[in-house]
Amino acid sequence: MKGTPRMVDEALEEETRELLARRAARLREQGESTVEEAVHWIAEFPLGEERYALPLESLRAALPLRMVTPVPLSAPAVIGVLRFQGQVLSALSLASLLGGHGWRQDPAVLLVVDRGDGELCALDCEAIPRPTTLPLAFVEAARARAEGPVVEVFTQDRQLIHLIDPRRLFAQSDVGARHAR
Amino acid sequence: MPVDPMLQPLVAGFAVEAQEVIQKVTMDLLELEREGLENDALAKIYTRLGRHLHTLKGSASSLGLQDLGDIAHKLEDALAPLKAHTQKMPRPVVDVLLHGLDLFMLRAQAHADGRGDHLPDPAAALAQLVAAAPPPEESAVLPGGAFAQVPPTVASPPPVSTSAAPEVLPSLEPAGESSDAGWRVSANQVTSLMREVERLREVRLRVEERSRELERVSTLLAKQGLLAETAEARTLLSGTGRSLRTDGEETSDVVDALEEGLKAITTRPTRTILDPLQRMVRDLSRQLGKEARLSVVGAEVSLDRRLLEKLQGALVHILRNAVDHGLEMPTEREKAGKHHEGALTLRVEQQGNLLYLEASDDGRGIDLNQVRKAAEKRGLVTAEEAARLNDNQVRDLIFSAGFSTRSDVTDTSGRGVGLDAVRATVESLQGRIEVSSTRGQGTRFVLTLPVDLGSSPVLMVRALEQFVGLPMLAVESTQLARPDMLRVGKRRAHLEYQGQLLPVVDLGARLGLRASSPPAEGQPLLIVQSGGKRVALGVDAVVGDRDLVIRPLPSEVRDVASWQGAATLSRGELLLILRPDWVVTDTEKVTVSAVSRRALVVDDSLTARALHRAMLEAGGFQVHLAASGARALERLQADTYDVVICDLDMEEMDGIELIARVRERKDTRTLPVILVSAHDSAVARERGLSSGADGFLSKRECAAGRLLAEVLDVMSRRGSRA
Repeated sequence: MKGTPRMVDEALEEETRELLARRAARLREQGESTVEEAVHWIAEFPLGEERYALPLESLRAALPLRMVTPVPLSAPAVIGVLRFQGQVLSALSLASLLGGHGWRQDPAVLLVVDRGDGELCALDCEAIPRPTTLPLAFVEAARARAEGPVVEVFTQDRQLIHLIDPRRLFAQSDVGARHAR
Repeated sequence: MPVDPMLQPLVAGFAVEAQEVIQKVTMDLLELEREGLENDALAKIYTRLGRHLHTLKGSASSLGLQDLGDIAHKLEDALAPLKAHTQKMPRPVVDVLLHGLDLFMLRAQAHADGRGDHLPDPAAALAQLVAAAPPPEESAVLPGGAFAQVPPTVASPPPVSTSAAPEVLPSLEPAGESSDAGWRVSANQVTSLMREVERLREVRLRVEERSRELERVSTLLAKQGLLAETAEARTLLSGTGRSLRTDGEETSDVVDALEEGLKAITTRPTRTILDPLQRMVRDLSRQLGKEARLSVVGAEVSLDRRLLEKLQGALVHILRNAVDHGLEMPTEREKAGKHHEGALTLRVEQQGNLLYLEASDDGRGIDLNQVRKAAEKRGLVTAEEAARLNDNQVRDLIFSAGFSTRSDVTDTSGRGVGLDAVRATVESLQGRIEVSSTRGQGTRFVLTLPVDLGSSPVLMVRALEQFVGLPMLAVESTQLARPDMLRVGKRRAHLEYQGQLLPVVDLGARLGLRASSPPAEGQPLLIVQSGGKRVALGVDAVVGDRDLVIRPLPSEVRDVASWQGAATLSRGELLLILRPDWVVTDTEKVTVSAVSRRALVVDDSLTARALHRAMLEAGGFQVHLAASGARALERLQADTYDVVICDLDMEEMDGIELIARVRERKDTRTLPVILVSAHDSAVARERGLSSGADGFLSKRECAAGRLLAEVLDVMSRRGSRA
């Protein structure tokens, strides 16, 4: 008679162990996915021999570089203006904004980006960007070290990516007129 | 006089259309009253006037509105003798005709509202019209004594047809808006509809792109040879390509029609609120014993209907003030050496997303002492405060609530309600109002208002490959350059125009696209005026006029002084719109910079041109751009350059062919040329240098400083060889 209750206890213990094991597994899964979420999504593209990237959240569209109207007397970084979803946007030369960067092939793509102040503008680009991730910790560490609009972040496989901060880029850029009013 | 119930629904539409016709008749009457019109012009106006009155009579009669038909008939009778002997219409006759039109409109509206039964007897209305006729001594000046000969009995109206009313209704002008025949939609709904049209335009562009891609695939397949296996695919592709093109064209038509329709729904020409002001100015000046003429500039500009409705009252206030307070009596004006007729001007101009509305008069101007005293008297400021105010602040007192310089209350002023209401209206529209005034010379009010909707007439012109728009308001005339009208000096050419010498400005040079040169024979010259200045603007071609919606520019180019905005053309491309005030400003600075070193960048990539330009300008070069080898040769023929930077791989004419052509010509044989290429290989470098280039750089090497160093090095080497 004593055996039965023991068996019940054992069965309960086993059930409890299973339950706890399932909970632990669930928590482990959550922990792993938390690690996976600690990434920074970027849109990566080539500029000359180097790899650059924009935060994916700032990217609104990638368009073929056409129907751009040049704006005579504008600042050197301004390629022209174009229409995008009913708005008039500026198309800017990223190489020029970055202080005169060489390029490997003539840009054929425009990236419509949020400047960080709610306004949109288009940046030229040599190829359609590739969405990828950077470890968030790496990005934060790099940001803490840098003050400029471009931070250098190494990927886990030791590749260098120049991550552009649109807000800082446009805050420091002089993209007004050559003959401003 | 009851209207046939079957016809009642048509009467409302008739009233709206009649209002439009009456507005036209009113404008014609005001024109006939003026001096200095040629006989031909007078005859045309009389003919038009007669036609309009006849239309009113016919339309009214066909709806069974006999009283209106009678009034129109009487007006026709009054016009007949004057029409026979074409001459300026005496003011008393204009008064009577205007009064008759008012009567017509009041009764038409009453019929439309279903109040026709309660109208007084038409005989009384007609008697009233006759009673208002000029006294015999005035009418006697007319051949045949216009009103004296108005027949006492009214001709019978034409028979009324009820069976086919819509058909018999003579065609007036295009139907206007009837309060009964429309929907109420919110501004947001219309705005979102406009956004959808923009999206549709982009879809249309993508369809065109797909069609071009199909063509390319078809061409590629054809290059593979006429294999039977691909024949069916090629036929299918060609057919799909053709259908796609047709669909694209149809979509294009739909987009254009939708845009036009939305424009018509949301905007209307400012003329619709400005024309009625002519009558108001005339009547008020007559009432006050003054003479005034209102000139309107920019009435073609179309604006947001809501904005126009709100502005109408403000403009009435300003003009009534100008006539009442600003303009002097005719004798007083003549004593002051002015024309007895006061000049009022309304000028409407849209620049980007700003509307400028200027109302000016050539009257006595604002008496600041009187304003100070009136403000003190009405308790708006204390004597001490008034003494501390500068002239601008004193002038601003006229916008204070309760301000008036009148000590008595008249029909037109003295209640202290007016300009404060105007300012409140303008401020409610997020705008501002400013006033400037010179004693004895006049007063000017400028209203600046933000506008989201609206279109303006624009003249599209071309300078080199750049198409630009110029507000029509600023274009006085266009002509072709003729040597006998040009005075070409060392620094600048002048055009003899209406007895004046106007500086000639080359648009291409002004935009930094080329060096300035005197206009060639036959080159189009536009006489552009702004702020009292005029220039002759040399362009390469006049494309034509367009009615365009001008949008503000993005922040990166908003401060470029030359541009006020951009407009979308039918294919979706943007057209930059020039600021007329920039066009007419002094160009000395540009002339001075022309002495700097000059570089020509030749590249078929827009971004590559922009980058090279940026690097060279940073080095103090004046840079001109060419998108192809052919354009570069044209530039080299017209201008002189210190160096050419040229892309190696371009379609049509590559860098190597361009160098060969440059070396063939005596004047460019020793011109330094640097080739740039996306191909960074020894073969490309060797190929470039062996073609006669002075330098070679890969585009990867064109980083800051490197291009400039190469350019300076090449120029120095060429210089030492020379």
